[in-house]
Amino acid sequence: MPAGNTPIEQAAASWLARRDGAHWSAQDDAELAHWLASATAHRVAFLRLQAAWQETARLQALAAGWQGDGVPPRGHWQASPGSRHEQMLQALTPRAAPTRRAGRARTLRFAAAAALAVCALAITWSWRSQSQVDTASFHTAMGEVRTLPLADGSQATLASNSAIDVRLARHQRDVALTRGEAIFQVSKDPHRPFAVAADGYRAVAVGTRFSVRRDASNLRVVVTEGTVRLDAPAAAGIAQPSVLLPAGSVALVHDHGVLVRSLPLAEAQQLLDWRDGLLAFRDAPLTEVAAEFNRFNARKLVVADADAGALRVGGNFRWDNEEGFARLLQAGFPVRADIQADRIVLHSR
Amino acid sequence: MQAARDHWFVTEVLVHEAALMRFLQRHWQHRDELHDLRQELYARIYEAAAKSLPAQPKSFLFASARHLMTDRLRRSKVVSIEPMGDFEPSHVLVDEVSPERWCGGRQALRQLSDALDQLPDRCREVVWLRRVQELSQKEVALRLGISEKTVEKHIAKGMRLLANALYAGQTGVPAPALDAGADAQLAD
Repeated sequence: MPAGNTPIEQAAASWLARRDGAHWSAQDDAELAHWLASATAHRVAFLRLQAAWQETARLQALAAGWQGDGVPPRGHWQASPGSRHEQMLQALTPRAAPTRRAGRARTLRFAAAAALAVCALAITWSWRSQSQVDTASFHTAMGEVRTLPLADGSQATLASNSAIDVRLARHQRDVALTRGEAIFQVSKDPHRPFAVAADGYRAVAVGTRFSVRRDASNLRVVVTEGTVRLDAPAAAGIAQPSVLLPAGSVALVHDHGVLVRSLPLAEAQQLLDWRDGLLAFRDAPLTEVAAEFNRFNARKLVVADADAGALRVGGNFRWDNEEGFARLLQAGFPVRADIQADRIVLHSR
Repeated sequence: MQAARDHWFVTEVLVHEAALMRFLQRHWQHRDELHDLRQELYARIYEAAAKSLPAQPKSFLFASARHLMTDRLRRSKVVSIEPMGDFEPSHVLVDEVSPERWCGGRQALRQLSDALDQLPDRCREVVWLRRVQELSQKEVALRLGISEKTVEKHIAKGMRLLANALYAGQTGVPAPALDAGADAQLAD
């Protein structure tokens, strides 16, 4: 069997390699999403390579006992039965977090030495900057999704029409979600909890991935990695109990408290699909679907009557193509779409 | 349900690639078309799973493979001299009970290390530094004195070759280390 690949597979590999590098932007993200959505063959090639690449992390088992610098010679793995046995043991632990290995430890030692040198310099200047705080504000326009690197190594992805204020201090990392929704990929730092405040509630994490969203009537927290603690605002001066949210949790905060649902992880992740340009629905009423589209588009979907609003819709749609969605509805549902320049009105037929 | 479908595709379909490729090889004379056949088949499978996920992924995969080959034969204007029959599945062992997994520890590591050893020198070095020593692409570029773009190209190439080897689940059959003319040698 030839070891070549089809042009599509080569393109998929280029995308993955680029995303793995340092120059990946929100623009690239959008282009990739577009490429993936434009043909099934693109998507499956991408999935295939991505899964294999993730699997190669197991190669770290081979580094056990390898003291050299750079890559061992070919065939090194079959060398000594003793070390091989160790490799096997490590390899049999699927997806174990990579333990720090010899090669890595040396890098760390070097890093530690370098850090000491820097420390000496820094100490003289840190007592002045003890109280120094790093603040920044970010916002997105309607229809814009942006991923922003924060100064602590975390990432925030803002949905359309959203805003955050970031305040990174020495012992804590505070983010205020002032509008809309954001996904946070939090870099691990147990000594500096990462808290997102919205509506008096705080979602606190040390290293994890979750999203917080606020609407007129409620607040939603979705956790897709790690654990988040949700602190309620004190009521009448009395502290309220916190809720722990493991991965797969969706917490809805209403006027009367917090409702937590546990979903399979894949389903929880779908709630954050907007990041890839998609909105996913399962059996959702059209009113809800229209409201989701409207969060991303200036041209609103208006549901004209209750019958239309009650229709149940499922599927994945690109949020930047509300007109395509309306035409799809018209083709498959008892709906008439009145498409105008500034809005799209959906009537039942 | 795209995330669920993606997950299903990776864990229930891709794991059978080795058996699938052997099957396609047995029934399809044109070896240069195998990758293309695989690609079209995967796209079909993925689309078929849009409404609901097939309960017996492996049977479904092989049945679809047979259909695809039949379709292609019908479409091709050249009449095959060798009768292809109707791709009797009788000698394909479709076993739904024992799920194949290429994360079978011992064997997977063996396959991976063999695959790594078959990469071209520079590519092998880049993959090692990036995946095992966990240097960033930028750090790899600095370390090897090559551009980040070149590192990226090696990563892309390593990814493809490793995937082919990994999914092929080769048992002692060395794959050629270089692509058959698919891409020119990378200049450092």
